[in-house]
Amino acid sequence: MKIHPFKTAPVILGCLLFFVSVAALWAQPSNEDPQPANASAGENAETAGKEDAKKPLTGMRRIEGKVDDAFAKFNEKVGEVMFYDVASLFRDEGVEDEDKVVVPLAVLWLVMGTLFFTVYMGFINIRGFKHAVMITAGRFDSPEDAGEVTHFQALTAALSATVGLGNIAGVAIAVSIGGPGATLWMIVAGMLGMSAKFVECTLGQKYREVRPDGRVMGGAMYYLSKGLTEMGIGPIGKALAIVFAVLCVGGSFGGGNAFQVNQSLDAVQATIPALANYRWVYGLVMTVMVGIVIIGGIRRIATTAEKIVPLMCGVYVLAALAILLMNVTEIPAAFALILSEAFAPSALKGGAIGVLVVGFQRAAFSNEAGVGSAAIAHAAAKTDYPAREGLVALLGPFIDTVVICTMTALVIVITGAWDNPDPAYVAMRTAKEGAALTSHAMGGAIPGFQYVLAVAVILFAYSTMISWSYYGERCWAYLFGDRASMSYRIIFLVFVFLGSIVSATNVLDFGDLMILGMAFPNILGVVLLAPKVKAELKDYWTRYKAGEFPQNK
Amino acid sequence: MSWLPKKKVVVPVDFSGESEHSIAVALELVADPSELYLVHVLFPLDNVSPGVLLGDMTDEKRAEAVRDSFDKLLQQLGVTGVNIEVLFGKPGLEVAEYAARIGADLIAIPSHGYDGVTRLLLGSVAERVIRHAECSVLVLRRSDAE
Repeated sequence: MKIHPFKTAPVILGCLLFFVSVAALWAQPSNEDPQPANASAGENAETAGKEDAKKPLTGMRRIEGKVDDAFAKFNEKVGEVMFYDVASLFRDEGVEDEDKVVVPLAVLWLVMGTLFFTVYMGFINIRGFKHAVMITAGRFDSPEDAGEVTHFQALTAALSATVGLGNIAGVAIAVSIGGPGATLWMIVAGMLGMSAKFVECTLGQKYREVRPDGRVMGGAMYYLSKGLTEMGIGPIGKALAIVFAVLCVGGSFGGGNAFQVNQSLDAVQATIPALANYRWVYGLVMTVMVGIVIIGGIRRIATTAEKIVPLMCGVYVLAALAILLMNVTEIPAAFALILSEAFAPSALKGGAIGVLVVGFQRAAFSNEAGVGSAAIAHAAAKTDYPAREGLVALLGPFIDTVVICTMTALVIVITGAWDNPDPAYVAMRTAKEGAALTSHAMGGAIPGFQYVLAVAVILFAYSTMISWSYYGERCWAYLFGDRASMSYRIIFLVFVFLGSIVSATNVLDFGDLMILGMAFPNILGVVLLAPKVKAELKDYWTRYKAGEFPQNK
Repeated sequence: MSWLPKKKVVVPVDFSGESEHSIAVALELVADPSELYLVHVLFPLDNVSPGVLLGDMTDEKRAEAVRDSFDKLLQQLGVTGVNIEVLFGKPGLEVAEYAARIGADLIAIPSHGYDGVTRLLLGSVAERVIRHAECSVLVLRRSDAE
C-alpha cells in the first residue's frame, strides 16, 4: 500500500515546524556576551540584555527569551492597532500627562457594541432574565429537537470556558489598578455583555449546520459567512469568518490555554512555594491531563471537571459571601467607596473614563461577551427556537461577571487588599499577581481557604482549557477541514507546556490580544445581522407571552 | 473494464447535491438496486465538544442518524432495495477498504471536494480512493463543473 503524503502532512508539518524552530534556537552559538558592548553579538546580546545580564542564558530560559521576543514584536504591531488610543484624536496637544485619558479602540468597540445591543433589543438582559432562568431549569426542554445537549448543559460548557483565572486573578488586578470604582464598571459591563451574548448566541443557533449524523456545527464563523451571504455581502462575511477563526485559534493557544496554565501555576505557587523551582513539572502534568483527553480519548476526567465547575462556582461565591458577612458592618462604606471611586477615582489618572476602561476590559476578558466564542457551545443546544438559546446564553455574563467577578472585587475591597500598605501586598500589586492577591485576601479571612482556592483554580483552568480546545478545534476544522484536527491537538498541547515554562508576559499578552481581537469581526458582523435577531426575538416573545410553548412540570 | 452491468458498485455518499447525481448514475450501471452499496464515512467522535462531554452523543447514535438520513434521501429519490453502510475513519481509505472487503467491481465517486489551499494540503477524497482502491474507480464530473 502506498503511503499517502497528504494524509499526515498537517500533523508532520506542525510538529516539524515546532521542533525545527526549537532546534534552531537551541543550536545557535551560546556565547552570549553579558555586556553587550560588541555590536556583532547582535540579537543574542539584545536578548541577554533584557534578562538578567549577569547570568548567561541557557536551555529553556534562552528559548523562552527568543519566543518572548518574537511575540513582543508581533504584539507591538497588532497592539498598536487594537489598543489605538481613540481619545488622542480629540486631545489638545497642550494637555498635561496627568489628565490624559486613554481609550483603547478595542474597549471602545466593546462598549459601543454591547450598549447598542442592549438598547436595540429593548433591554432583553433585564426583561428576558426570568424566562432565561426557567429555560435553563429545563421547563422548556424538548428532547426531540435537533441538537446535542440540553440548555443547562450548553450553559455549563460555555461557563466552563469563561469562568477561569479572569474571575479570580483578572479582577484582583483590575481593582488594584483601577481602584474600587472598577467594580461598578465591571458590573455594568457584565449587564451590557448579557445582551451581546444573547444576540451572538441566537445567531449561533440560527445559522448552525446540522450534519447527516446529527452533529451540530455552529458559531461566529458560520453566522458571519452564512448570515452575511444572505444579506448579499458574502465575500465580506466569508472574510470576517476566516479572520474570526484565525484569531480564535490564536486565542485558544493563548488566553484559553497558556495563560490559564501560567496564571493557575502562579496561584498554586502562592500556596505551595516549593513549586517555583519545578514549574515544568506542573506544565508536564497539565499537558498529560489535557493530552489524555483530547488525544487519548479518556473523556471522563474532562466530563467530571466540567460538571464540577458549577459546584465550584457555588463554593467560591459562598466563601466570598461568608467573608462579606464577617465584615458586614463595613459593607455600606465599601459600597459608598465603590460608587464614589467609580466616578471620581482618587488613585487613577484619567478619571471616570480611565476606571471604566479598566473595568470593561477585565469584564470582557472574563465573560467573552462580544467576542463570539460562546456561540460555538450554545449552537449545540437542543431547540428549534434560536432566541430561546440566546436567552440561556445571557445568563453566562450574569453568573460570570455580575456574580463571580463582583464577589472577588468585593472581597478585595472589603479586606482592604487593594490598598493594604503591608509590603507583601504592595509587592503582589506591583507584580500584578492577581491570583496571589485574592488567595491572600480570602485565606486571611477564612483560614485554610487558600487550599480550597488552589484546587478551584486548577479546576477552573483545566475546564477552561478543555472548552477552549473545543472552540479552537472547531475553528481549525472550519479553516482546514475536519480531518486536520490531530495537528491542532498537538499544537494545543505544546502551548499547554509552554504556558508553564514561559514566565514572559508577551506570550500572555498575545493570548489577550487574540481574544479581544475576535470582537472586531464578530461585533461588526453581529451589528449587521442584528435586525434578524430582533425579528427572531419579537416572534418568539409574542408566542411565549401568548402561552404557546408547553411547559414541563 | 466493460460497460456491461456491474455486480457490485460502491457509492460514497456525503449527502450533498452531488450524491444524488452519483446515485442516479450508479443505478444505471447495475442490473438491480440490490447491487448498489451506498457508504457514508464518519470521522471519529471528538473528545471535547459539549455533546460528547456533557450530552449523550455516541458513535452508535451518529450511525443511527446517518441511517435515518439515508432513508430520507432514498425516499426522496424514490429508490428502494439498495444497501447502506456507515463506516468510521478516514473517508478515502475506508471506502477503498470497504470495496475490497465486499469484493466490489467499481467505486463511483463525485470529484467535488475541497478547493484552494485546503485541497493542496489535504487532497480530495476521490484522489485517496483512486490511490487505495483495488477495483476500478469511476470519477464523476461534478454537475456544476464548467
